Amino acid sequence: MKRETRIVIWSIGLAAASAVIAFPFYANGYYLALGISILYFTVLATAWAIFSGPTRYISLATAAFFGIGAYTAAVTAETLPWPLVLLAAAGVGAVVAAITGLSTLRLSGIYFVIFSFGLAEFIRQLVIWYEVNVHKSVGRYLFSDVTQDVLYWQLLGLVVLVLSAAWLLKRSRYGLALRAIGADETAARHSGIDATVVKLLAFVLSAVFMSVTGAAMAPRWTYIDPAIAFNPMISFQVVIMALLGGANSLFGPLLGVIPLVLLFEVLTAALPNHFSIVLGAIFVFIVMALPQGVMGILEDWWRWVGGDRAAPVAVFRRARSHGATLFCGRPKVGIGADTGPLLAVDAVSKSFGGLRAVEKVSFKVGRGQIIGIIGPNGSGKTTLLNVLSGALAPSSGTIRFAGTLINSLPAHRIARLGLARTFQLVRVMPGLTAAENVAAAALFRATSTKAGEAHETIQKLLALVGLGAARETPAGELTYIDQKRLELARALALEPRLVLLDEWLAGLNPSELETGIALIAQLRDSGLTIIMVEHVMDAIRALCGHCIVMNSGGVIAEGSPEQVLADPKVVTAYLGDGDA
Amino acid sequence: MLLFDILLPGLVLGGMYALIALGLTLQYGVARIMNLSYGESLVAAAFGALSLYSGLHLSPLAALLLAVPIAVLLNWLLYRLLLERLARRGKDSGGQEIDSILVTFGVLFVIQGIMLVAFGGQYYSYSYLSIPVVILGSTLAVNRLAALAFAAVIGVAVYLALTRTRIGTAVRAIAVDANAARLVGIDVRALAGLAFAFGGGLVAAGGVLVSMFLTFNASMGVIFTMKALVVVIMGGVGNVMGALVAGLLLGVVETAVARLVDPGLTLAATYALFLAVLLIRPTGLFGRASS
Repeated sequence: MKRETRIVIWSIGLAAASAVIAFPFYANGYYLALGISILYFTVLATAWAIFSGPTRYISLATAAFFGIGAYTAAVTAETLPWPLVLLAAAGVGAVVAAITGLSTLRLSGIYFVIFSFGLAEFIRQLVIWYEVNVHKSVGRYLFSDVTQDVLYWQLLGLVVLVLSAAWLLKRSRYGLALRAIGADETAARHSGIDATVVKLLAFVLSAVFMSVTGAAMAPRWTYIDPAIAFNPMISFQVVIMALLGGANSLFGPLLGVIPLVLLFEVLTAALPNHFSIVLGAIFVFIVMALPQGVMGILEDWWRWVGGDRAAPVAVFRRARSHGATLFCGRPKVGIGADTGPLLAVDAVSKSFGGLRAVEKVSFKVGRGQIIGIIGPNGSGKTTLLNVLSGALAPSSGTIRFAGTLINSLPAHRIARLGLARTFQLVRVMPGLTAAENVAAAALFRATSTKAGEAHETIQKLLALVGLGAARETPAGELTYIDQKRLELARALALEPRLVLLDEWLAGLNPSELETGIALIAQLRDSGLTIIMVEHVMDAIRALCGHCIVMNSGGVIAEGSPEQVLADPKVVTAYLGDGDA
Repeated sequence: MLLFDILLPGLVLGGMYALIALGLTLQYGVARIMNLSYGESLVAAAFGALSLYSGLHLSPLAALLLAVPIAVLLNWLLYRLLLERLARRGKDSGGQEIDSILVTFGVLFVIQGIMLVAFGGQYYSYSYLSIPVVILGSTLAVNRLAALAFAAVIGVAVYLALTRTRIGTAVRAIAVDANAARLVGIDVRALAGLAFAFGGGLVAAGGVLVSMFLTFNASMGVIFTMKALVVVIMGGVGNVMGALVAGLLLGVVETAVARLVDPGLTLAATYALFLAVLLIRPTGLFGRASS
């Protein structure tokens, strides 16, 4: 960009910013009120998008937190100075969000929508009940010396804060984690992301902004009752604004807020009785016609014109801390002893109701080995891997990984200890690019990673599995085989000491199979330990020194591939009885 | 006696909830559309019965014959014109579910807005068969009993249609696994539309019956949606018997809370029950654990 253009752009930006800041000095009351509406909806919609944009949890709890803030202000404004009122609102909002979030963030889809909608109603009913029975009057008067001008500046400050928070979050690894969770929560957990905590933090952050906005807006009404404070319409308006603009980009919500606030303003004046009909029609139109929002259209257009994709990869270029080797063989400090078997499974069982899918399975895995787990379909192999990787908790028995007891540890803890896996039914995070899929694991492994090196690791890993050219391709657009390769790269990005491969070679053609086998051998030679569930016997023979044969939940044979495949029990398990 | 004073009205109310929830479980369980405008359809049917009764002196029970076919048709159109397009947009199922929720939000506001324009915000009720009878020491109005009887007849008819007919079996197959149903030659697209339409018919029947004994206004649809959802989730999505038991349970719990604690807290009680079920048994009281 030329120096002159840059100066022009900066001057325009500065002029616009001062015009916005000085707005109360030259705007009349009507326009000031309009400006206030735009500002407070911008805070709400941006805060909504912080949580709901990447995770795709559609929250209708905006009215709940807005109302909590407004009510906190109404109750405390007489006794506390104004800044403390705002702080109190933030605190109450955070506490309520943390409590409700902890108990309900495992709900997803429709359950979460209904929960979040009900939350506002629930709190409203409780507040009414409290006011009627304890306080003995439903409404409260709120007198404060906050003028419209001051309110405007407060909200403007909040807009700056919420946009900065959203921007920082987007650039941090937690922003990537939120998107990973929205794309595939299970895959995210197995990449070392503590999905519960990350979701909870984003939910609380978003709720705090909503509550403070509610408190800031409270003086505008003078008289507050639960019906005003917990108006469910706010929740819907915020959703539709964020969706119109595009909930996944920083300024998307703002782009949706401006036209809709203006439209609602015109509507309430021109067609007060038909307001909700028009609101509903706009809602239907936006979802049907603009699924990605205005920002989505702009981005498509930008790409079509030939511009660069706004680089979300910047996320891991900026990641923090010290160096990392390519994969495996890293010295582990503090986690268990380095002597003895890497994995010791002792009498592990898993039952679903009456079905015993895995029964009293015991085996040990030494370092640098490749162990094959084979057996007919339905013999419990995948369930065993699920128990090892923390996707399922064992019903009984113990699992020790490098001496550490990992029974029933959550999946992300096991992943961070260095036990990674791939899935039989491949699980990539479809909306993220190949590089971001790997980055999610690289940024949440136990040893933290330095900026450029994480970038390099990802590049190396993608090249290793043969995806070097696909780094910017969304994972959902990769072929099935490439998605399997990507899963392996993601598993390796955790710097694991043990990798569980669940039928990773299934569905490959002969030449791909050869490359695949060579790759696994290469990984073993670099010191990685591997457990592979596989039906491709050629691969088992070529790779595994030791095999475990499972049938109906139990281990029926163990030994070298030649030994177990000659074992009459194994032959019977696969082919049935000779005289059957 | 207090016990019967709670139990009898509770069961009548619960029977209505079960009928209403039956329609929602058809729509959500089979067509995979979470229809958030569900309660608005119910209130619209109630207003329809009110207009027919006060305008033409048509008995609400006769109004059923008119309201149900119209609702079936309207819901079928809604499915064909709007909701089916979302399924064809080719997003993953999570994205589709969110889109269908958002579109039916819009529909919710449109229906509610039309009713507000036509009837305003005030409460309505009409008096039909409000003759008190005494059963087991507690007084009930005949209209409540008539509504319950009709609800029972409709519920049994739907249950039989789902379990004893070829189409019903196909519909249940779609509810279990739409892709597998497609593989055995079931026309999923047509039948899902049909199930959605008949779910809409059931909610219209529920609306007409409820209007005989409840006061209602244009903006209370959401409450019915909430309650239907609570019943569906408690009973387990797609589970007809579960919806019946959960509906009755909810009716009794609500009546008990209104009688014993505070009438203002019924919705809070509903919500607390809903949360408890979701957190303890997310697949419903009678649902199977998903593996």
